Amino acid sequence: MAETLWQRWQAVAERDLEREAVVHLRAGEPALRISRGQLLRDAERVAAQLAGYGVQPGDVCALIVRHQPGFYALYAGVVALGAVPAVLAFPNPRLHPDKFVRGLAGMAQRSGLHFVLTERELAARIAPLVSGDASSVRAVLFPLEWSEPASLPSVSSVTAVRQHAMSAAGEGADAPCVLQHSSGTTGLQKAVVLSHRAVLAHVERYAEAIALSAHDKVVSWLPLYHDMGLIAAFHLPLATGTPLVQLDPFEWIRAPVLLLEALASERATLAWLPNFAYNFMADRIHDDDVAGLDLSSLRMLINCSEPVRAASHRKFLERFASLGVSPRAMSVAYAMAETTFAVTQTLPGERARELRVSRRALERGEVVLDAGADTRACVSCGRPIRDCEVRVMDEAGEPLPEGRVGELWIRSRSLFDGYQNDPERTATALCDGFYKSGDLGFIWQAEVFVIGRKKDLIIVAGKNLSPEDIEDACAAVPGVLAGRVVAFGLDDEASGTESVCVIAESETRDPTAAAALRLAIIKAAMAIDVTVHRVELAVPRWLVKSSSGKLSRQENRARLLAGELGAARARAEEELRPA
Amino acid sequence: MISERLKSVILRELRLADVSIEASTLASEVPGWDSLKHVALLAAVEREFGVRFKTLEVMRLQNVGELDALVRKKLAAAQV
Repeated sequence: MAETLWQRWQAVAERDLEREAVVHLRAGEPALRISRGQLLRDAERVAAQLAGYGVQPGDVCALIVRHQPGFYALYAGVVALGAVPAVLAFPNPRLHPDKFVRGLAGMAQRSGLHFVLTERELAARIAPLVSGDASSVRAVLFPLEWSEPASLPSVSSVTAVRQHAMSAAGEGADAPCVLQHSSGTTGLQKAVVLSHRAVLAHVERYAEAIALSAHDKVVSWLPLYHDMGLIAAFHLPLATGTPLVQLDPFEWIRAPVLLLEALASERATLAWLPNFAYNFMADRIHDDDVAGLDLSSLRMLINCSEPVRAASHRKFLERFASLGVSPRAMSVAYAMAETTFAVTQTLPGERARELRVSRRALERGEVVLDAGADTRACVSCGRPIRDCEVRVMDEAGEPLPEGRVGELWIRSRSLFDGYQNDPERTATALCDGFYKSGDLGFIWQAEVFVIGRKKDLIIVAGKNLSPEDIEDACAAVPGVLAGRVVAFGLDDEASGTESVCVIAESETRDPTAAAALRLAIIKAAMAIDVTVHRVELAVPRWLVKSSSGKLSRQENRARLLAGELGAARARAEEELRPA
Repeated sequence: MISERLKSVILRELRLADVSIEASTLASEVPGWDSLKHVALLAAVEREFGVRFKTLEVMRLQNVGELDALVRKKLAAAQV
């Protein structure tokens, strides 16, 4: 019988109410252990309280809270009620308050947010959203301040709430159970709608792919507004009864050793990481901080959510093999919010395979194995998980054979139900039941290799950024010619991720003014919480357009890398010089 | 007032020409000083002054002034 998330969680809890569901960690504090029974009891209390404030089944509740023990019951409480949680990032101090509110307002309009569940600190900023005529937001609530049932609003009993939720029309396996916001920082957020059925079916199939067992334990610092954090490292553990050790993303980024400490002390077996984290931990953890740590419990360290680099795996192993990290733990998954999470996964117990292929042949769209100097090491993402199919397509939408590079199209049982309130974008993204990923790759001996992107998305440290957002922010800087900015990602081998580069056209020639303009552009991007690593100023009309008439990011990027910008600047200086 | 030496190592690590950095300055106010860069920057400060920060000390830092005070404390302790 098809289940809902809540029914599954209850079934899991009933097997052993006292077993750990979540271990909440904070640096310097003892671990807080929440049992399955405790989590569900607290969730029911929260659900009753939410109902008292008018939250009904099917309502979309944005959760904007920091790492804290109350989060888990809050999320589960929203689900218990049959409402739909959407976890959003708590605004980073860099993000300009206006940009945050504008982003949230846009999201409320497109996604149809009904309630914002957050912390008091954001109250003043969010309040205008509720009063706006066009806003769908009915109330901003501070559920982490609600204490015990004594302060319950007018709700008869928890049981009544549960019955209400169960009997509500929307309740059922095909109803939405989560809204997942994929890419974009401010303007172009896409909300992926997932049903109970999609999430549970996915979790089951993905658990198979990683040979999940009762001996497993997940450790994660991943933010829960990201699909990898939310599905792999939160829904998977909850729905399978696998204990989850959850760290604070903000603490981990300041002290990356925390993940290894947690792994060792909790004897965890599974973790998912974006590629940059392998470099980050290998480079930024002091030897004496890891002395004596035993990481041998780690069964799979799964690299996912940004392009996987062979060098990052090697670097991590060189650094931590002596602590018990096995090469066989080096795993890879290919995943996206639109397919709930995983599309492919490498085999458990086997190191992800590497192929050395000719760069020149790859540029032609062909895979030719080559041991020579001009080769690229491509890391396998493994085979499609059960009920998932990957096809490599050419520009005309025709399937390509193995060994040819094309766009990856995916059909999955756990395919999303579309972007919320956005039938046009949904229609563009889907074709004959396949999701057009925008990623470029190939299949080799049934394994999928992802080598690049057709779309202009920038991925920095696992976080998806839309170039449009960055360009809009930079174009508003005085001194930048109207509409003449492009943003794109540049490969950063040292950090194992991409860095953001902006090219802006400007009339400015004076070096001091140019330096000031570059700084102003960096600051404009800072206000949307994006770090621009490189700003290049170009003379007017340097940027070229693509056939669609828009400035071409890929072409201008290629011209920058080919050194054409420097040449154009030299010519401009030449013209300025008196004869 | 933070030390000139601390300011210069911050500017050098972030490749900034000159940006105002005071005791009350927050990392989030300095161009390039994002969460990804934070650990590398602290490592550069450690190298510059020949000191080592502990995880919890790093967690507690609220602004540049506190970083400056931590460096001074470490240096004073090393002299004893």
